[in-house]
Amino acid sequence: MKLENSRTPPALSVRGMTYRYRSRFAKNSEAVLTDVNCSIDAGSILGILGPNGSGKSTLLKLLAGVFSIQEGRLEFYGQDMQRLSQAAIAKAVAFVPQETQQIFPFTIGEMVLMGRYPHHTGLGGWHWEDFEDLVIAERAMQDLDVAHLADRLITDVSGGERQRAIIARALAQDPKVLLLDEPTAFLDLHHQLDIARILRRLNQERGLTVILVSHDLNLASQYCDRLLLLDHGHIVHTGTPEEVIRPDVLEQVYGCAVLVDRHPQSGMPRVSLPV
Amino acid sequence: MKPTLEIPPLPSSQSSVDVAAPVRPEVHRKPVVSNFRSLTLHRWCVWVSAFLVFAMLALMVCLRYGTQVIELPRIFNILVQAMTAVSQGGSGEDPTHVILLQVRLPRLLLAFLVGASLAAVGVSLQALLRNPLADPFVLGISSGAALGAAIALLFGVGVSMWSLSALPMCAFLGAIISLLIIYRIAATQYGFSIYTLLLAGVVLSAVLMALITFLTSVADPNRVFGMLAWLMGSLTGPDYPTLGILAVYLGIGLLILGSQAQSLNVLTLGEEAARSLGVEVERVKKLVFFATALVTGAVVAFSGLIGFVGLIVPHAVRLALGADHRLLLPIAGLTGGIFLMVADTVARTLFSPAEIPVGVVTAIVGGPVFLYLLMNRRAQVVT
Repeated sequence: MKLENSRTPPALSVRGMTYRYRSRFAKNSEAVLTDVNCSIDAGSILGILGPNGSGKSTLLKLLAGVFSIQEGRLEFYGQDMQRLSQAAIAKAVAFVPQETQQIFPFTIGEMVLMGRYPHHTGLGGWHWEDFEDLVIAERAMQDLDVAHLADRLITDVSGGERQRAIIARALAQDPKVLLLDEPTAFLDLHHQLDIARILRRLNQERGLTVILVSHDLNLASQYCDRLLLLDHGHIVHTGTPEEVIRPDVLEQVYGCAVLVDRHPQSGMPRVSLPV
Repeated sequence: MKPTLEIPPLPSSQSSVDVAAPVRPEVHRKPVVSNFRSLTLHRWCVWVSAFLVFAMLALMVCLRYGTQVIELPRIFNILVQAMTAVSQGGSGEDPTHVILLQVRLPRLLLAFLVGASLAAVGVSLQALLRNPLADPFVLGISSGAALGAAIALLFGVGVSMWSLSALPMCAFLGAIISLLIIYRIAATQYGFSIYTLLLAGVVLSAVLMALITFLTSVADPNRVFGMLAWLMGSLTGPDYPTLGILAVYLGIGLLILGSQAQSLNVLTLGEEAARSLGVEVERVKKLVFFATALVTGAVVAFSGLIGFVGLIVPHAVRLALGADHRLLLPIAGLTGGIFLMVADTVARTLFSPAEIPVGVVTAIVGGPVFLYLLMNRRAQVVT
């Protein structure tokens, strides 16, 4: 997904990325990603789609610096990510895992403040939160509508509230790029819409680049500027939702026929399963 | 749908589409107030100094009890006298003096050090393994240290003047080997399975204890007797130089753990999340493993197997003060010290003049707490 004539470097650019899981038992495991090339424009919302096991989450975790790069090159605004420290990456790129289990009684406020960790790289990150940290955390919580829950325990709130708190934690990192692994997977309709709208708003108000992995083709079609379709570790299609959400493309990747029509309100492509 | 691609830094663009209408109307956006609970230096100092005072009070009360009750004013007198005597180079020889300064005080100081260390190690392991049931005793790390120490004792590694450093070294090696085994077994690609961890700990513990029993049954009976008492967890008879050496080991270990408090906070989110937040997970793990093994090794070498302190105390403190490790580590440490001083005083006085090993007391109190936590956990359906 190259944007010709772009004035600034892309937020993230991936070149020749190949990744395989190293197992204790298998010497030569199959590659999860094979020679992936793409670049993600700053200020856009990118949806990464694909069937189970197509390497979506792996790609996202490589972008987040959670997995270390084996082959290939990853650039953040033109800088080589492999040269950056873990903390330097965390100041620019925030990652929201598919599921966060917190078994210890942290309050939501404390959880969100953890997002300030990369900004204090002292001895083991030991620091007292300063006023700036509190202000940024509070703003993140207001953006995600969890400020009123700041003193509640993360173990006591609903799934939707917890997910919003986790995204607020990611925002407290003050990132340029926000990566989310199936942010709406365990949420009901109302909360799915909530999260999607919040992401769109953050994208527009703060110019945040958002990259999300999703199984929900319709949500991705509504809210993403660009889509990237993965299959067996290869990028098979990239483009706008109109270019990617097409019956022939989806049938080839997902292996089942689908119907695509238009969303009555937005006019974006909409996927239905045949009866 | 979106007209143009924009590149940050952006002015807040007004080109939004209906679908993306803000969820929260602007009216609700209060000015930033930042009045939610967070750990300030002030709050930290208040709690830590409060618990330091508690610890001093507990020490005084525990000094009072024994086969012979020494009244508090008398204790103060003796302590003050002793302090001035140390600076003048002499000391009184009255029996109460000797009981208080040569028997009770060193023993209680040992109890405090051991309790504090076990609690702090428990906290750190629980954060690292994301499991509130982790404890050096339950996971077999103490048994590993005990095997190391037993080998050192029985084969006379520690008879020379180096005895004081060889014994804890062997215990440290034993502890770190069993810690690595446990970790290796329980760590999967998807995190830790709580049941694998506990089962592995129980089995490892059983195997190590069997090895210790094997060693004791083939060894010189004269050496074995003292070892059995030590294995059950005993705080008897330390002298001040020994205490000093122990304090050095524990001090190093606890400082390392304390310095990682914030990293431990973030690690409770899971390793992948922690890495994405800038934690150098492998480095933190190595540091915590090293410190845990060092502290557990030293504690086991000097006081044998005392279980469950690292389990009950952190749980109680978390309920009261929350989970922030910057506060949890020091407070759990102080509380663990107080707990073990009290437990030891109970062990000394309950059936006086007979003495129960303090490990028996902590197991009787701690075992049920452990089972209660395990039941609670199952109800939460967390794998």
